[in-house]
Amino acid sequence: MLENIGLFFSYFWEIRAQVAELTLQHLWLSLAGVLLGTLTAVPLGIFISRRPKISSFVIDLAGALYTIPSLAILGFMLPFLGLGWLPTITALTIYSWLPVLRNTCTGIVNVDPAAKEAALGMGATSNQLLFRVELPMAFPVIMAGIRTVAVLTVGITTMGALVAAGGLGSLIFTGISMMDNRMILAGTIPVSALAVALDQLLGFLENKAGVWTGVRS
Amino acid sequence: MVEAIEVELQSVSKFYGEDKVVDAVSLHVNQGEIFVLIGPSGCGKTTTLKMINQLIPHTSGRILVRGKDVTELDPVELRRSIGYVIQYIGLLPHLTIRDNITFVLQLKKYNKKMQRERAMELIETVGLPVSYLDRHPRELSGGQQQRVGVARALAADPEILLMDEPFGAVDPITREQLQLELLRLQETIKKTIIFVTHDMQEAFKVGDRIGIMRGGRLVTIGTAMDIVRERDEFIRNFIGQGAIFSALDTIPAARAIIDDLPIVQEGAALDDDVLSLTGDWENIFIVDGQRRCLGYISLSEIKGQRKIDREKVTACPPPCRPGDSLKKVIEEMLWGNRAWLPVVSEEGYFLGIVSFQSCASLLVG
Ligand SMILES: Nc1ncnc2c1ncn2[C@@H]1O[C@H](COP(=O)(O)OP(=O)(O)OP(=O)(O)O)[C@@H](O)[C@H]1O
Ligand SMILES: [Mg+2]
Repeated sequence: MLENIGLFFSYFWEIRAQVAELTLQHLWLSLAGVLLGTLTAVPLGIFISRRPKISSFVIDLAGALYTIPSLAILGFMLPFLGLGWLPTITALTIYSWLPVLRNTCTGIVNVDPAAKEAALGMGATSNQLLFRVELPMAFPVIMAGIRTVAVLTVGITTMGALVAAGGLGSLIFTGISMMDNRMILAGTIPVSALAVALDQLLGFLENKAGVWTGVRS
Repeated sequence: MVEAIEVELQSVSKFYGEDKVVDAVSLHVNQGEIFVLIGPSGCGKTTTLKMINQLIPHTSGRILVRGKDVTELDPVELRRSIGYVIQYIGLLPHLTIRDNITFVLQLKKYNKKMQRERAMELIETVGLPVSYLDRHPRELSGGQQQRVGVARALAADPEILLMDEPFGAVDPITREQLQLELLRLQETIKKTIIFVTHDMQEAFKVGDRIGIMRGGRLVTIGTAMDIVRERDEFIRNFIGQGAIFSALDTIPAARAIIDDLPIVQEGAALDDDVLSLTGDWENIFIVDGQRRCLGYISLSEIKGQRKIDREKVTACPPPCRPGDSLKKVIEEMLWGNRAWLPVVSEEGYFLGIVSFQSCASLLVG
């Protein structure tokens, strides 16, 4: 056992340069997916929070996309987007939609009506209401959605290796095909570490922003 | 002087579908007046209030604020010019007390220095320590939050204040204290206030005039005295027996003064004019050159004499002021075991007396 662990570490040390490169690649794919997903889902979430009639429809739609297996999505996009980072990031974006969209919309809808009424009654314009009351008050809920997405995305990014986007998935899939457990582990451990680190980072940023906007003291 | 009308509702109605929630309400509120809207839960008080700042658009009728039809005004500007204390306090939980108080000023983009100064000023106005400015709403008690709600409404120094059950969330003692503070504050700020409550005692305490609502209709408008004299059964049941005592608290002694008394100046002879004023009153009052009351003498002591014997003059009971409430006057009478008290102005002039009789006849009408 101990011997095996020792062997693994020496193997890991051997290929450290490759692992580092793949980790960076993995990171940027994941970040790009989360970022694009957030940048599209938050405004859409704000938009549908104003329109109760269509909001559940849009959320259901995002939910339907969410349930498609990642391999299938990559397969569908192959004829249109080909191989590489483009279909991978597109898939990651699509997976980000549901949690961020749903949390943004419900976060805003559930803002205490008394707070909204007070702001309107004092003469807030609809923009001022959004930026000074609704978004700050929904911020923790929206952030929770983004953190869920971040962890999830780091995992799904692994699939990118199948469409030649690189990332730690390449180690894992090569390891599987060669039945090399050391290689699988050398890919898996950094994925988990990356997920945890990203979640912690977002938590830290949330706290900083919270103090700044007054959500947390 | 004709008082300027700040807010006027002309036959204003609000429908939700078929439901008539507010039904042809007409009222006007004068400048510097506290107008209380009261009625059972669900009678349309909040709706009426929110139509004034157009948080709820009215279905028919006209609403004038400072003479202008509200539908012709920019709603944002309208609301910024009217202070609003909402029913459920509605402090913004993510902001400090300072930012809550200055929220309107931020919306209006006042400079930061001015905002800070105003926050300091207002927190003191509502009787909270300056250190609270850095707290968040959840770190304050319900009563303290309501004070902040009032401070926030005052931030932009609006002429008109809408207050929807501003003291609803506190115990009776704090409530009474807040009411007194509002009245004290009102003496200096002289706002035009529309105050919603469902507590009759509160209405009598703070209201210059009171409007009673029932099922969307305004059934009566009047002063505390008018209201206690109402004979309508709904109104009588609504105000309740105990409320008369609160009404007494709001009526000044000046209203119950008897001033057609026999009064003679010290040293002057009694003439028939004076004696004819006695009626069934058995005392004659003696005043000095500055019309200060020196005391009284009963008719039986005079026994037809024209000259008053200084020895026989009795000193008056401790006087009350015309601004004292009837409640206070009656308490003084009961406490001092007196049937009447002299009323003396701030300058010391003898104005007349109030008696149990004069208080009672005022209320019974
Ligand atoms: N959006 C709405 N749609 C339909 N009916 C409404 C709506 N808002 C209020 N109502 C009805 O209008 C009536 C008056 O409501 P309002 O809030 O003005 O009452 P209120 O006098 O302030 O009562 P309370 O003392 O409980 O605050 C109520 O019967 C309520 O059910
Ligand atoms: Mg109400």
